[in-house]
Amino acid sequence: MDDMHELSVESLSALCSNLAKACSKQLRTEEASLFDQLASYYKSKSKLPEGKQFTDYSALVLKELNKDYAEISQQAAADGDRGSLRALTWGEKVSKILRSLLDRYEKQKDSMLENTNVYVCEICGFIYIGNLPPEICPICKVPGFKMLKIQKESV
Amino acid sequence: MHAARNIRLCTKDCVCLFVCPTGATDTENGQIDFEKCLDGCRLCVDACPSHAIYLVNDNYAPPQVKGQKIKAMMLEMAENKTEQEKIASGIARDAKSPIARQLAIALAVSSRISAEDCLREAGYMLPQGDEVKKLLRALLNSQQQDLPKETIQRLLDLL
Repeated sequence: MDDMHELSVESLSALCSNLAKACSKQLRTEEASLFDQLASYYKSKSKLPEGKQFTDYSALVLKELNKDYAEISQQAAADGDRGSLRALTWGEKVSKILRSLLDRYEKQKDSMLENTNVYVCEICGFIYIGNLPPEICPICKVPGFKMLKIQKESV
Repeated sequence: MHAARNIRLCTKDCVCLFVCPTGATDTENGQIDFEKCLDGCRLCVDACPSHAIYLVNDNYAPPQVKGQKIKAMMLEMAENKTEQEKIASGIARDAKSPIARQLAIALAVSSRISAEDCLREAGYMLPQGDEVKKLLRALLNSQQQDLPKETIQRLLDLL
């Protein structure tokens, strides 16, 4: 199997940014910086789509919740692949949170986020809306300092 | 295998300075001098009352073998996540309202983290692993014009 022909530039970028993190954990700073450079290179090759809406994002989340998680988890369970099962369990919980956030945003629009903060868990991708981040991530249980605050910037 | 200090946990008890046979723990940058550190010695690791020192492997056991089918499925899921990231990044670029932009950025960050997790479980967990080296070699041989070949070659040399 030749992975390279199957992977999009976006996935290659994510693959490299993740390997950069793995190298940082091993304190291999040169390798981490090289993987970061590669991640930026592949990101620069990505063409962002025009005219997309939050509903387009929701559609992809729904597809995963309706079909993908169940199918892939079945395969992972059959293989006894604990790592994949773990990733799928977190992923499905995060997707459910995203679905309900986006449903709420459809109804309340910007007022939903007007007087509060937005955080993303750097480990599992959980999005939290609130003034202060939770003490531990409810999904992957890392401490709250792993919650990245997303700033409200004007365009 | 060498020792490393987690500066978040270090409370400057400085017991590591007393037990280290080579002075590797005595530095001004907060980290242990990996060059001076003795392979697998671990005297400082066991001595630290704050549990702030740990060992970092130089070599890792090969990761658990994964089936081709689950690997392909996790790659496909990663593609779905990166597609989400693309859509969210497009919204963040075009949104007029700062709040819509903030939400779109949060979604893009979240999707990227989920994509990374899927790719990790698609066989690319360990930077030194065979899958990663195979991929880097394949990238190096690709026809892309402005590919940063030196970066990829340097990685192959180091890993």
